[in-house]
Amino acid sequence: TLLYTIKFELQMMKDFVKQCTKIVCIGRNYAKHAAELGNEIPAEPFYFIKPTTCLVEDGGEIIYPDISNNIHHELELGVVIGKKMSKVTKENAMSYVAGYSVTIDVTCRDWQEKCKAERKPWSISKCLDTFCAVGPFIPADELAHDNVEMLLKVNEDKRQHVNTKDMLFDVPTLLEYVNQHITLLPGDLVQTGTPDGVGPMVKGDTVFVSIPGVSEASFKVV
Amino acid sequence: YFIQSNLSEMASKMKDFVELGSKIICVGRNYAKHAKELGNSLPETPLIFSKPTTSYVKDGGSILYPSITNMLHHEVELGVIMSKVTSRITANAALDNVAGYAVCIDVTCRDIQEDCKNDGIPWTMAKSLDSFCPVGPFVSSHLIDPSNTEITLKVNDILKQQGNSRDMIFSIPYLIEYISAHITLLPGDLILTGTPEGVGPLQVGDKVTVAIPGISEASFYVK
Repeated sequence: TLLYTIKFELQMMKDFVKQCTKIVCIGRNYAKHAAELGNEIPAEPFYFIKPTTCLVEDGGEIIYPDISNNIHHELELGVVIGKKMSKVTKENAMSYVAGYSVTIDVTCRDWQEKCKAERKPWSISKCLDTFCAVGPFIPADELAHDNVEMLLKVNEDKRQHVNTKDMLFDVPTLLEYVNQHITLLPGDLVQTGTPDGVGPMVKGDTVFVSIPGVSEASFKVV
Repeated sequence: YFIQSNLSEMASKMKDFVELGSKIICVGRNYAKHAKELGNSLPETPLIFSKPTTSYVKDGGSILYPSITNMLHHEVELGVIMSKVTSRITANAALDNVAGYAVCIDVTCRDIQEDCKNDGIPWTMAKSLDSFCPVGPFVSSHLIDPSNTEITLKVNDILKQQGNSRDMIFSIPYLIEYISAHITLLPGDLILTGTPEGVGPLQVGDKVTVAIPGISEASFYVK
């Protein structure tokens, strides 16, 4: 880990939320999640972007917006970028990764359905304040990206449980794909898709996310 | 004197909005004739998407024609730069939080956008790539009437787009109210407020010039 601290200043990366300039979110990266929402499995990944005003850290509050009646949780492995990268290939991509975070892509499911039906962008369903809940920073050498178990519970109810080996496109492939045309900067976060089991959260709920044995975080819905 | 010195202090900070801001929020279909030219219906509520700050290109810079498209389009837009943290502001108060304006281009892969719409997926791959937000220089708010500002775009010195903000469907104060209701705006954040009719293709080698006539101008080169 001496090598690690030379590569990425650990203290800065622990505060990735302060450095972050954007969050890139992969859609439909687990087959069963595509199926549960009646979507086809994509031939290529697609992605969207959340602004940094979405970020909320462990212990914080997810704000239920008054424009929606159906707010959903989506458990995702977040990848924290450690160095500026542009057009990096998948063979080299992981050397730019400072670490990970267990995260939630909060979504207005009703607005998302409306946007899809009306052929409109998804921002109103994905980009509202507090719509990117993030657990603490995990240094890269503590996880193998293709073998991460993650859990999400709402109150006592276990909702989502997955191992990242079920990803349709693995982390290096995703990073190469996004990075072809979008530069990633230190502190930027890439959310790598959600497994099946997405569902509603309501005001008063506590949402727990974890990588068992490694990391956990909780958020209150208000 | 006090008002003038405050304005120039604000202006001197926000001229670096490209470095200071955290995001670009974009409004689609905000001019009736543009909605019509693309065969779109008029929106009941503003159509919102975003670009990351890695999209920025400054005056004199290059717009990169990506390999994944055959139909790169220009869209000239009046950009609004925020001066303060803005959350849940009313339209009446919105302009108090505006530092200034810039003439911008919402660069778009029109073919990819069409595919995204057909597939019901986000527009990000059509709108948010590196160099897809060329911006002219910062213009202090006291020089602009946001309800009556002309913007123009030329490709290789031929006029392609000419519009006036008075033709916007949703006014700038209303857009700030609508966006800030659920998305906090930070100092230096940019809002692109829609494009008038006349959008069209760009080719590698083109020079694109945008202007607020008599006030501001910028040029970009397609590579």
